[in-house]
Formats: sequence, structure tokens, C-alpha cells
Amino acid sequence: MTTPLVEDTSGLKSGQTLLEVDNLIMRYKTKQGYVSAVEDVSFVLHKGEALGLVGESGCGKTSIALSLLRLQADNGEIMGGSIKLGGKDLVPISEEEMRTHRWNDISMVFQGAMNSWNPVYRVGDQIKEALDLHWPTRLSRAEVRERIGELFALVGLPADAQDRYPHEFSGGMRQRAVIAMALSCNPQVIIADEPTTALDVIVQDQILKELKRIQDDLDMSIIYISHDIAVIAEVTDRMAVMYAGKMVEFGDTADIFSAPRHPYAWLLLSSTPSIVGPRRQLAPLEGEPPNLLDPPTGCRFNPRCPFATDQCRVEEPPLADIGGGHMVACWNYEDVPVGITAGGVA
Amino acid sequence: MTTEAHVEVKNLEKRYPVQKSVFRSAKDFIHAVDGVNFSIAPGESLGLVGESGCGKTTTGRMLVKLLEATSGQVLLKTDGEVVDIANITDKDDLKSFRSDVQMIFQDPFESMNPRRTVYDTIAEPLTVQRIGTVPERETKVAELLNLVGLTPAESFMFRFPHELSGGQRQRVAIARALIVDPTFVVADEPTSMLDVSIRISVMDLMLKLAERLDVSYLYITHDLAVARYMCDRIAVMYLGKIVELAPTEDLLANPMHPYTKALLSAVPVPDPSYKRPPVEIKGGISKSINPQPRCRFYDRCPMAREDICGPQDHPPLEEKAPDHWVACYLVDKQSA
Repeated sequence: MTTPLVEDTSGLKSGQTLLEVDNLIMRYKTKQGYVSAVEDVSFVLHKGEALGLVGESGCGKTSIALSLLRLQADNGEIMGGSIKLGGKDLVPISEEEMRTHRWNDISMVFQGAMNSWNPVYRVGDQIKEALDLHWPTRLSRAEVRERIGELFALVGLPADAQDRYPHEFSGGMRQRAVIAMALSCNPQVIIADEPTTALDVIVQDQILKELKRIQDDLDMSIIYISHDIAVIAEVTDRMAVMYAGKMVEFGDTADIFSAPRHPYAWLLLSSTPSIVGPRRQLAPLEGEPPNLLDPPTGCRFNPRCPFATDQCRVEEPPLADIGGGHMVACWNYEDVPVGITAGGVA
Repeated sequence: MTTEAHVEVKNLEKRYPVQKSVFRSAKDFIHAVDGVNFSIAPGESLGLVGESGCGKTTTGRMLVKLLEATSGQVLLKTDGEVVDIANITDKDDLKSFRSDVQMIFQDPFESMNPRRTVYDTIAEPLTVQRIGTVPERETKVAELLNLVGLTPAESFMFRFPHELSGGQRQRVAIARALIVDPTFVVADEPTSMLDVSIRISVMDLMLKLAERLDVSYLYITHDLAVARYMCDRIAVMYLGKIVELAPTEDLLANPMHPYTKALLSAVPVPDPSYKRPPVEIKGGISKSINPQPRCRFYDRCPMAREDICGPQDHPPLEEKAPDHWVACYLVDKQSA
């Protein structure tokens, strides 16, 4: 690329801390009480890194993402913790000030956004809206066209596609345009919430490769949210496993896949089928996730955990470093068998 | 028809007219399913995989008579007799067909009436077919709830769908399909809406039931890893045609059709150290409206040869290696 699309305003180099989330608590207020959707979650995102959040539906993946942008639903409330972007805490600032960070620093590819284009407006005009709202200066019509052309080139779409309507796009093209919109204001972080879930595998492969290339070219950080463990294995450097609003395991993706230490992470990986390697018997995970209005005492996973002891039912395990930045929240992680490879137990 | 086949599909076709005007008869047709052949042995599970729009659901629906085929035959073996399902029109025959062949739908959130209890939902096939008395039906429903692992049965029987989780609903859907003791079940993406952890228990349940009740499945899915877990053989569909059909492990280890190769290399692998081969496929969309009389994959095929594939119609599905059927001119026949 001849003209750099992203000016590195933060002055950060690859590997330096970009986003620091500390003890974040976000709860939804309902008639029955508070639903603890994000409970005491901490992590650090480095510049140029891809971080994955995995877990089952309702485990709080998307709630974390929305909290980072302060876009949680009206009944959602950040009740504690901090979200530091380049050292500045985003939790206490005013909505007006937050708006200057949204899209310019952190943007998001929303789940299902590819099916949310307004059918009666041209795709380019819809991306223009994001630029009008968030671009620091007022852009002329010609500048907007040029900018969208640049963005489309970046995601592999022809520049003149901006004059077309959403129905003229295939699913893959619509998702590319959504990514272009997320990139429009040179964010430092993109949150991609299930970016390929609705796509066929061949298109999914193309989109994931495109995101990886953009991440490398622009030295950008991406937070991937997915229920598809295989996708997370392929695209992320580090990952967090979520269960019932809690982060139960965090570390290098390669480390977690080679030896998951939390019983839930272990079972989750063991229940993922694969087309590569020997066909294995997969381990089912019995039971249902807990009701977050009234989560179980002690460890939230204890009712379903094959390794649970009396301590687990009373005392909540902290997320503790077990060496090399591999964090696990489990009292009995040493009981979890090692030597599971993805694809299931042998 | 071979004696051992339970279901045999011959040249099955479904065309949808593309109506340009209300007053003109249609000239253009979408070839949704375009001459499909396969057979399923008793107790066998055949996987039908392919991308969205390739015709896999249409095929499944024709097999259960939810859609009428434009042409072709579906032969079903019941009580030692082979019948063409197109000839089943008589009300009583249709009833016995419906108890022989059942379908499990994709979405457990949409395929259930929210105002009816689990008992109503599961017992509905019995009510419609006037099988048994009410106490008998209750016993049968309880038996099935136990079978699909919704225990204790009494506590689930009178719940409503909104009181159930996704996995529980899909178990109810499976129980409803099995209550009439079918011998053949078409399962259309029965686990794609479920979380991974629940998915395995539903898949295990279906495998266990197949073994115990000797049910044959047509298992429709877009997920090859799921197909591998569930199916004895896999048929790969592309644009209304089966392009490859082989025993599961043989297909995965030794794909022959260029489309199957591309599809397999695009599936993400849950192992960060594994490097997938590049996905070799050309861009663009192949049209299913009045397709040209040549290989449906021609425009996207990385191997396509103008001199060989260009002038010929879509290649026939041929046995290129023992039990391994491929529709491609460029794949040589291997000796056994």
C-alpha cells in the first residue's frame, strides 16, 4: 500500500499494551434483579495482536464487547472496574467524550451486521454516515468517495461497488463492506463479533484471510468473538474462555489448545469435532449453563464440573497465573488430564 | 434396485419456475436439484453436505414428500415391499408413509408451537394418525422422553417450549419424529442451532437411537466435521448435483473432486499448529437458472480443461475407486 491508511497516533509499537481491562463488572437490571453478564473480567490487549473470546451463547462474550464501546443495552450498567485505552479510563468519561473514541479508536463488526444493511440506500451512502459522524474533520463529497474507495480496496471490493445497493452484493461482499465500515475511521482496535458465522466455509476462509492481512498490514489489534473454537484456533494469538460471565481461562492460544487447564475449557475442546486427525469419541458436556440471575455459589461451573469438590461449591477460585501468562480460575486444575488434542478425547 | 437398499433415489429433479410475468408461462427454471442418485442401506446414515443453496434441503424435503419432485423416483422399502413414494396418494397409504418416514427440522425455536405442551407436540403424530387411546399415548410419550434423556418424563410432559433450552427442544423434536417408529429419518441440520457442548449429546443421542431402533438417516449439514461424526457415507452436493459420494473416512482422506478438495481445505481445524492447504477455487457465482449443459463447477474449477470439460455435459457420477463415486472428467479411474 502506498499511502498508509492508519496514522499511528498512539505512538505504540507492536506488542505494547493498547487496552487494559481491569475487574470489569457489567450487569443487566431486570424485574427479577440483576443479571451478572460480565463479572470481574480482566485482560490486556497488545498492539497488533489478535485476541479471541470463546464460550457458549449467553456466556458474556458480546456483553464484554459492547461494554468496551459502552454500547450495552439501556438496562446494562457498568458497575465496577476500568477500561483503559492508552492509559485513559473510558468508564467514567461522558457520553459525548466517549463518542470521540467510538469508531475512531475502537470499532466493531456487529454480529449479523451483513444482514442489517438498509436495502433502500446505496452501500457507499451508508458508510458515509459513519464518516460523517466520527471522522474528526468534515469531509467533502469527493473526499468521502475517495476514502470509501481506499477502504473497499483494503477489503477486496472494487471502488465502484459503493454505488450499488445491498441486494446486489453476495453474502461475502456484504460482510467485506461491513468490515470496511468498521475500518473507516482508522481504529486501533476492531471487535469482530461472529464475523463469519452466517457464511459458507469457502467464503469464511476468504474473509478470515482478509482480516488477517489487514491486521498485519495496519498493525491493528482485533478481538474475535466466536462460538466456533476452530476459527479461534486459526486466527488468534491469545484467547480467553468465558463461562457464565466469568473468564475461566486465558493464555496463548497454542498453550490452551495443547493443554487446556480449566475443566470447562477442557470439555469444550473435547467436544469439538474436527475433520483432521483420527476420528474420536467426543465428550459430551452434561447439564445447562446456570441462570445468571442467581448464579451458583463458589465456582460458577461447579454443578457441571466432573472435578468439583466441596471447596468449589463454597469458595470462588481466582484467575491465577499458573506460569507463562497462562491464567486459570480453578481450584483443581491439576486434576484435569493433560494430553487432549483438539478434536476430542482419544 | 439392489436388494439391500432401504431408500433409493433415481434421477431426482426439482425445478422452480422463474416467473417474469403473471400472464406468461415461465421459460426459465432454477434447477434446485438436478438429477440426483443415491441409495441408503438399512441402518445407514448418509450425510448430504454442501454450501447454502446447493439443493440439499430440497432433496431432503422431496424424500419425505413435503415437496413434489419434478421428475425422478424415490423408492422406499417398507415391509419387504418396494414402493415409489410418488404413487402414494391414497389417504391410508399416506398415513402409513408418514409413520415410516419422518423429518427433524433445523430450528428448534421455530419448529414448535409455543402454545402447545411438550406432550401435545410429541403426541401430535399419534393424534393425527388416530393411534392408541389417550393413556396409551401418554405412556408412549413418557417412554420417548426417557429415551431422549428428558427425565423425569412427568416433569417435562406438560412444559411449554419457552420453558425449555435449545438442546431440550431439539430432543423434543427428535422424540416427535421417533414416536411413530419410523424406519427412515431425514434430519436437516438438527444441531446447527445448538452450542457445541449440547451438540455432542444430541448427536450421540441420534447415533444411539439409530443403533437401537435400526433407523436410517439422511443427515443434511453444511458442517463436514459434524458429518464425519454422524455419517457412514458422505455425498457432496454442488449446484443441484452430487459431485462426490464415498465412505466418510475415505472421502476425507482421499477427496477426488476439485470442489470437495476446496471445501475440505476451507474447514477450520481446532488445532493452532495445523496449517491448512490453500483453498483452490475460482471466484464468482455459478448460476442455477438454466445452467449451461456442462460441468456445473466449470467456472470455478481450478483444474477445468477447455478441451475436455468445455464441450461436454455435466459429467456422470462414476465409481472411480471402490465405493468412491466422483463426477469429474479429469479424475482417472483407479484400479482396485
